[in-house]
Amino acid sequence: MSEKYMVEPDLQFIDDVMGLGGESLKKCFQCATCSVACPIAPENKPFPRKEMIAASWGLKDKLVGNGDIWLCHQCGDCSTLCPRGAKPGDVLAALRSYAITEYAQPKALGKMVNDPKKFWTLTAVPAVIFALLAIMTMFGGSFMAGIFGGELWYHTHDGNPFPGIAASNFISSWFVDMIFVPLAIFVVTVFAIGLKNFIADMHKNALLEGKTAKEKIDVKEFLMTLKTVLPKIAKHRQFTQCGENRERSTAHMMVLFSFIGLFIVTSVVFVGVYFLHQGTPYSQLNPIKWLANVSGVALIIGGVLMVKQRLDKKEDQVSSYKDWYLLGLVLTIGGTGMLTQMSRLGGSAFLCYTFYYVHLISVFHLFAYLPYSKMAHIVYRTVAMTYAEYAERK
Amino acid sequence: MDKKYCTYICTGCGIGEALNIEKVAEAAKEKGYDCKIHSCLCSEEGVEFLKKDVAEGINALSIAACSRRVNFDIFRFDGCVVDRVSLREGVAWSRSRVDFPAPTEEQKDDEYFIDNIQHLAEDYVRMGVARLEKITVPVPYKLENFNRNILVIGGGVTGLTAAVEAADAGYNVTVVEKEEELGGYAAKMRKQIPMGDYSKGLVDPVVGKLIEKAESNSKITIKKGTVVARIAGQPGEFVVTFKKPGEKIEFDVPMAVPEDQRYDEKGNPLDVDQIRVIYDKINEGRADVLSIDPNGEPFAGVVLAAGWRPAEIDAEKYAYLGVGNKDVITNHEFEQLAAKGKIVRPSDGKPAKNVVFIQSPGMEEGDADFEYAGSVTSMVALKQAKYVRDDYADGKAYVIYQHMRTPGLMEDFYKEIQQDRGIFLTKGAVTEVADNGGTLAVSAEGTLLGNDVTIKADLVVLATGMVPATKDNPVVNLAYRQGPGFRDIGIFDGYADSNFICFPYETQRTGVYSAGAVRRSMTIEESTEDARGAALKAIQAIESANRGTAVHPRSGDMTFPDFFFQRCTQCKRCTEECPFGALDDDAKGTPKPNPTRCRRCGTCMGACPERIIGFADYNIDSIGSMIKSIWVPSDFDYDEPPLRILGLVCENDALPALDMAALHRNSIHPYVRIVPVRCLGSVNVIWIKDALSQGMDGVFMLGCKHGDDYQCHFVKGSELMDVRTYKMGETLMSLGLEEERVEQFEVAIDDYDKVSDMINGFVEKIESLGPNPFKGF
Repeated sequence: MSEKYMVEPDLQFIDDVMGLGGESLKKCFQCATCSVACPIAPENKPFPRKEMIAASWGLKDKLVGNGDIWLCHQCGDCSTLCPRGAKPGDVLAALRSYAITEYAQPKALGKMVNDPKKFWTLTAVPAVIFALLAIMTMFGGSFMAGIFGGELWYHTHDGNPFPGIAASNFISSWFVDMIFVPLAIFVVTVFAIGLKNFIADMHKNALLEGKTAKEKIDVKEFLMTLKTVLPKIAKHRQFTQCGENRERSTAHMMVLFSFIGLFIVTSVVFVGVYFLHQGTPYSQLNPIKWLANVSGVALIIGGVLMVKQRLDKKEDQVSSYKDWYLLGLVLTIGGTGMLTQMSRLGGSAFLCYTFYYVHLISVFHLFAYLPYSKMAHIVYRTVAMTYAEYAERK
Repeated sequence: MDKKYCTYICTGCGIGEALNIEKVAEAAKEKGYDCKIHSCLCSEEGVEFLKKDVAEGINALSIAACSRRVNFDIFRFDGCVVDRVSLREGVAWSRSRVDFPAPTEEQKDDEYFIDNIQHLAEDYVRMGVARLEKITVPVPYKLENFNRNILVIGGGVTGLTAAVEAADAGYNVTVVEKEEELGGYAAKMRKQIPMGDYSKGLVDPVVGKLIEKAESNSKITIKKGTVVARIAGQPGEFVVTFKKPGEKIEFDVPMAVPEDQRYDEKGNPLDVDQIRVIYDKINEGRADVLSIDPNGEPFAGVVLAAGWRPAEIDAEKYAYLGVGNKDVITNHEFEQLAAKGKIVRPSDGKPAKNVVFIQSPGMEEGDADFEYAGSVTSMVALKQAKYVRDDYADGKAYVIYQHMRTPGLMEDFYKEIQQDRGIFLTKGAVTEVADNGGTLAVSAEGTLLGNDVTIKADLVVLATGMVPATKDNPVVNLAYRQGPGFRDIGIFDGYADSNFICFPYETQRTGVYSAGAVRRSMTIEESTEDARGAALKAIQAIESANRGTAVHPRSGDMTFPDFFFQRCTQCKRCTEECPFGALDDDAKGTPKPNPTRCRRCGTCMGACPERIIGFADYNIDSIGSMIKSIWVPSDFDYDEPPLRILGLVCENDALPALDMAALHRNSIHPYVRIVPVRCLGSVNVIWIKDALSQGMDGVFMLGCKHGDDYQCHFVKGSELMDVRTYKMGETLMSLGLEEERVEQFEVAIDDYDKVSDMINGFVEKIESLGPNPFKGF
């Protein structure tokens, strides 16, 4: 603390944060109403006042690696009570968005993901890939069977193509996995690199601001802490402390659990295909199918609720591209997923494949751009909360 | 004046219920005058009733009804003297019939039953009649050489606005400016803070248009390169001598004897005659205040808008702030730099892109700002920060403050400036400005950033304040015996002011009104508004002088102090004590009154040991007679005679507080007789001595707070009385009386909830002291 801090405001940083939904940040007059109002800010060095000040001074180094910005759940109590309309909740959201692009390599990709102008370029990538794969599946079936071996190629119950309409008859599940498995490895790698820097920065910042007593991070202990944090996240314990828009936690919970449900479904199907040689689609009576359907419906309802809440809160909360991008994605994934199934059952191959095509593109969006989009908060927030717990954030 | 007296007792508003009205009327008739009773004197019918009597020749009316503070417009009869006996607030509402019940049927005829409240009411009507006997209808003082010209000192924004406003109201105005150019500081700035709409950003200085307006106005005469040598005379007939700055002329104003020359080698204060010798010596070669310049120009009122100068920075004291380094400058120097063009470093002429504005010196000064800094300094820092941003797209301006003062709507300016992404504001204490070989490094602690910080700077700007012109120089140069400036009462830091809140524009000299930065540091917008107010005050003073009435705070009062010079001992007490310098004594020491300078507070009357000063309706005799008409019972009357306590109450704040207390039915002990006075400064100790020698048991004075937060309408009244009370104590002791029998209390106008306890506490104390041993002699 006694060490002198060299102040070097970064005007570009201020512009960037303002552009990411923090346009009100310069309105702060440091009264600290936000820190008092925040139901989850700790007593020692509470947020978001210090972040507001640092942001208005353009002190990037104090913010990007600051774990506190991730402890905020943007419930909006501070923004509603702010006497100057500085909306600290939105500024912190913008800072998180900035931090995500800062840690996710390559940065150029991060920039594109958060730039509405680049949306179609980013969409074109999976669109072209999946179009090619569809053509190969539908018109080069025997050729493919030759390469992969007949039985394996189809991934069906009996080793033959599924009779009637099936997603795998449009784009082979082989192809889908050939895309998504490497993509998953890529995503994990990007996160791994990002997190390494993130944790190091977060620790440095905590030491500098006197938020922790721990000198070094013990990896094993850190991971053990994750065990106590995950149930808290599952229960949305922080979220439910909000006064201003508590109902948001329900919607968020629905979306989170849908994704978990769909993750389980995907994993089971993956095991089924590669180890039990069971192809898709599953029977409607299969419990896995039930889980998939329940999750899909919950995803849509949760997404719609979130959109509604954002529209209702136009005055108090800024909704920027990054927010609509993610919500759009959630709804598209849920919507096209359900529609694919319904049109399949309804017997329209054209509709079914069209929806599936869009579904795959949107899932690609979600996956490939995960480390760069707002969705990355699932990782950063979890890590930051774990760190706060581990480091005994005072 | 041949007086025909009558007392009118009103029985409305609870008076009739509380008192035996018949017996009150008997007391009023004791001197053989008539007394009439009415159920509601303030009603239309009641007023008609009074008017009929006035038409039939009654010209001295004692109206025993409500407080003099209400219905004053109703009970006004031209050519009559009117006294208001407060039976409602003073008796019925403020003395408790629960604690002091009226006599029962059996007690009615009991000679030894003491009805204290009845006694009080009877005393009050006697006092009313006694006062009427001693007062006359005032005749206003008329000036011989009356004129209506207004003198404005200072040709800056304030002075020019005042001139234009006064000229528009039809008055001839002369503006005197010591510089060769009009416009003052405002003409030398790059931009100014917007006026009214703060979202407009910085605007071009408005002063240019104002100069054109003033110069083209036929009612305005402008004298550039000129100062006031002296202002002699009094409001309505000032005689002003002008001169070139620095010139020495016969009619230069005489100076007062400095404080340090008023004592001998042993530190004992010199007497008035010795001081006069020094006075004559230091003013040798200058015409006396009483001699009038035959070539002087006539004026009636003065607006003092002499403005300010930038405060200086003590290089030694603030060495740690880098004072002395070429790139550490004051906000004043920065403004000059900015007016010249893009902001560059004075040391090497390179662009100054990183500028730190330091608002407070920090270190030993704690959270204090630089001297004479205030809200304007904060506003200027915000404005100048914007200059940096206007000049350089990548410029950064930092403001480190202890106080960011943007009162009222000025907050909008702060909000506006704050939006600039290159302007950084933080509270903090600067610890050092170091030279890092070319660039400067500003270190600060206790900032909002949570750390001790260092900021790299190309240029550092220190926020010096605005020193009022009157700090260095009287400027007005009044040819008054008390001295050429406003008396320094030690709490205004050189500002030309007489009261922080209550009386804006008012100085301690009637007819001279200050406006703008000479009064307190102000922005151009504030100065403009201030100038209008001061111009109106000057007009009000002129017109009041013309009518022969007081202007402030006793607006409309037609009385003025009258001196019975044959008995004057030339002690100069009145000249010394007058808070407004209204009296100029001549070589012998006889005071020369200047009635239009006077505010009618009566301080001279309170000061005069010979008791030769009085007003038509307020004098030593009128109050003295009221006190003497109080019946003081002794052992001859009762075995245990009730006490009598006199309260001399300031009518500006204490009396309203008492009336409010009465309205709340907060009761006061009926031993207490209240006599309102114009100001405690007007209380002559003879009244206290008389009261005690006639057997009254105690005397208290109720006046305004004094000291740094004084509330006295006449600046010094309650403080002077405090000194007199203190001196009185010694006299009492020599008479064998306890000095505790005389006490002074401070009360504010809103202390209605405390004032009763204050008085009742005093009564208890007197009760414990026992009756006055002189009773009955």
